[in-house]
Amino acid sequence: MNKPYNTSSAPHIPARINVQAVMLWVCLALVPATCAHLYYFGPGILIQMLLATSSAYLFEWWCLTWRKQPIKPFITDLSALVTAWLFVLCISPIAPWYVAVVGMFFAIVVAKHLYGGLGNNIFNPAMVAFAVILIAFPQSMSLWLPPSGLMDAVSSINQHSLNLTELFFLIFNGSASTPIDAVTAATPLAAIQTGLQQNYSLSEVIENPIFGNYGGLGWEWIANWLFIGGVVLMYKKIITWHIPAAVLMTTIAASTPFYLFNNDVFMSPQQHVFSGGIMLAAFFIATDPSSGCSSFKGKIIFGAGVAILTVLIRNFGSFPDGVAFAVLLMNMSAPLIDRLTIPNPYGKKPKID
Amino acid sequence: MVNETLSHFHGGLVLRHHKKASCEQPSKPAGLPDYLVIALKTNRGICPVPTISVGESVLKGQVIAKPEHPMGCYSHAPTSGIVTALDHNPTASQDAISALCVTIQPDGKDQWVEPADQKKPNTREQIVEQIKQAGIIGLGGAGFPTHAKYLQVPDNNTALSRETTLIINGAECEPYISCDERLMLDHPHEIIKGTEWLLKAADANKAIIAIEDNIGGVKKRLSAEIKKQKIPNISVVKVPTIYPTGGEKQLIKVLTGQEVTSGQTPYSLGIIMQNVATAKAVYDAIELQQPLINRVVTVTGESIAEPQNYLALIGTPFSHLLKLAQCKDDVDKLIIGGPMMGYAMPSADIGIDKTTNCLLALPEVCTKPEIESMPCIRCGDCVKVCPQELLPQQLLWYIDGNEQTNDLEKAREHHVFDCIECGACSWVCPSHINLVDFYRFAKSELTYLDIKKAKSELAKQRHDDRLARLDFIKAERQAKRRSKTSKLADKSSAKAEISAVLARIKKQSEEKADE
Repeated sequence: MNKPYNTSSAPHIPARINVQAVMLWVCLALVPATCAHLYYFGPGILIQMLLATSSAYLFEWWCLTWRKQPIKPFITDLSALVTAWLFVLCISPIAPWYVAVVGMFFAIVVAKHLYGGLGNNIFNPAMVAFAVILIAFPQSMSLWLPPSGLMDAVSSINQHSLNLTELFFLIFNGSASTPIDAVTAATPLAAIQTGLQQNYSLSEVIENPIFGNYGGLGWEWIANWLFIGGVVLMYKKIITWHIPAAVLMTTIAASTPFYLFNNDVFMSPQQHVFSGGIMLAAFFIATDPSSGCSSFKGKIIFGAGVAILTVLIRNFGSFPDGVAFAVLLMNMSAPLIDRLTIPNPYGKKPKID
Repeated sequence: MVNETLSHFHGGLVLRHHKKASCEQPSKPAGLPDYLVIALKTNRGICPVPTISVGESVLKGQVIAKPEHPMGCYSHAPTSGIVTALDHNPTASQDAISALCVTIQPDGKDQWVEPADQKKPNTREQIVEQIKQAGIIGLGGAGFPTHAKYLQVPDNNTALSRETTLIINGAECEPYISCDERLMLDHPHEIIKGTEWLLKAADANKAIIAIEDNIGGVKKRLSAEIKKQKIPNISVVKVPTIYPTGGEKQLIKVLTGQEVTSGQTPYSLGIIMQNVATAKAVYDAIELQQPLINRVVTVTGESIAEPQNYLALIGTPFSHLLKLAQCKDDVDKLIIGGPMMGYAMPSADIGIDKTTNCLLALPEVCTKPEIESMPCIRCGDCVKVCPQELLPQQLLWYIDGNEQTNDLEKAREHHVFDCIECGACSWVCPSHINLVDFYRFAKSELTYLDIKKAKSELAKQRHDDRLARLDFIKAERQAKRRSKTSKLADKSSAKAEISAVLARIKKQSEEKADE
């Protein structure tokens, strides 16, 4: 009884959650979509995961040492894992090994630590990495595998013949025993873009068997699982409904007029929602708190901005998908949006008379 | 004024209550401790002037300090005994700040002072005066002098026919604390009577006793008492148990749907709010003519073997209460108040004051965070729970960001002064940042800077005034000289001037000669 009591300030009971748990929940929410990816596009994603995660942690450790930050709390906060995981879900499962390494260098070293580390990044690290890869290695991003349902229809060679060893060769050596062109297919969005450039109409393009019922075959199910993972995050109160709702609703709202105007050239709203990265962005990327807006009004503006820019880039831009650029552009605007949407606190509401 | 349906405030938390253990038994008297340390200073920093000296013997209920300031409050001896010290000691307030205290050694007789034979008050002024004489301050925690709330009520209130509502706050939203709940169960009669007096003092039409919906039996008991006393304008309303629903602003929002405009008192909406314990103290003061010398204190926490509410004399040292409740010796934190807003005390030798509603002793397993604080990841959990609808993480960015972002004025723009320091943001923060600490710092720093700025502006004003004054004198002198020279320029006037001077000299020399 004689030792002086601890006089640290309130609250005196421990908090309900910590950063690590938040990140862990994000990872758990990504598991179903990752399984779907694994099912449709084969085990390539596992190799990419291994590559990205290990290089992310190597860079993380190096940056922390170099910045003289405490290693243990920051290495164990799982934020690097989330970054690596999100990045891997964006890249091609057969991308060469240096894609993941270069991507993680830009994500962890440039986007995260050069801006001050955890919580201080202005740009979403995974999207910075993805944008760099899109610009630096466009070739590797256009090489995707056909979804597993199409093994006979698309390529003469069964996709499942691409076993783990061959995948390793493909990723680390750039060559496989079978010619690459024989086993790859374009992503649905890329297929649409090239198809349109070759003056096919949209309805002709989506007759390609890589398209499914409402998005790309396989892709639409990954999107569904991402949606379910996102709902779990909302239920766990890790994210709020504002950004996902704003992104999805605005995607539909912004793409509908184009589609109605000319459905030969412009994709349908459901095609927009279930293709490419929009579902991932809605629940996992645009909801990144450090690089997004904080007030509820700001979040809705932020989400809407991401959606509008994505639709515009997809419809008129030179890249098949625009999610990464849309997110980065909105990241830039986030502080301004925040400044303009300071909520009126209790007792300072404008009087309505 | 009060809606039939309840409103709700933004955010808030659902916390584990931990109240049951301490609330099962009626409150017990804590008895006479070996010594009493009575802090004279109130929470608002105003210190009354002691009217006793060291060595003097005092009787129970005798005035030991008188206020000079209108916001000050009287202090009374809680028991009879000898004043053994009048010096600065740590007090039961934030940071256990040191203040003037009277130490009394009880003589064990507990002998009351001769009652002043006050009549029951008839007018509003008399009620308010008796409340003031009894040294009553808000017993909910903020310690605002009770009489001062009624000074806002205009004399012609009835003539203005302005609707006034008295809210009796029985919503103890902080976990662990159960003293008000126990008080409502043990003394419904006194609370209702006290409320009736307060109704008169406020010139109010009706009173609402607000209680949380998780406390069983209280509403029944209070309602039965209201029926028995036939006071139809007092009602009991249950409000949802969401922390911090017991906060003045939050409770007003819940009950009325209205918000108290920033910087104004609830009376701007025609509302006066008092704690239930204050109502009981008013009853004691008016009906029993006893000043405020004791209060119910919850002694609880995981380190306490027998959690219990005690009726303790003001000034009873914590150690006395801890011993009664069989405190174990694994205490890591000894907290006055609740776990969300309470203050951790450095020692158990401090005496309770009028606002000490709870003594919470927690062992290390309950207090230790599992990780140290991490950087803000801007997750926005704090925004979701803030009952004042602030942006806590933006505030942190401006108060504890880097050199480029630090800007306390921006924190002011983001309404840091509207923070009620409820601690909801700190509690939900996944990075375990003690946000409220930063806001307290920003508020005091901004206040300090404002005072400094006002001072320097005043000094600058004085300096400018002085320069202007000097300039004026100089200009005046120059004007005089100029008029003189211009007069001399003219020959006839120069002659007249010279002759006038000569005449003056002559007159002077004549006067000298006369002497």
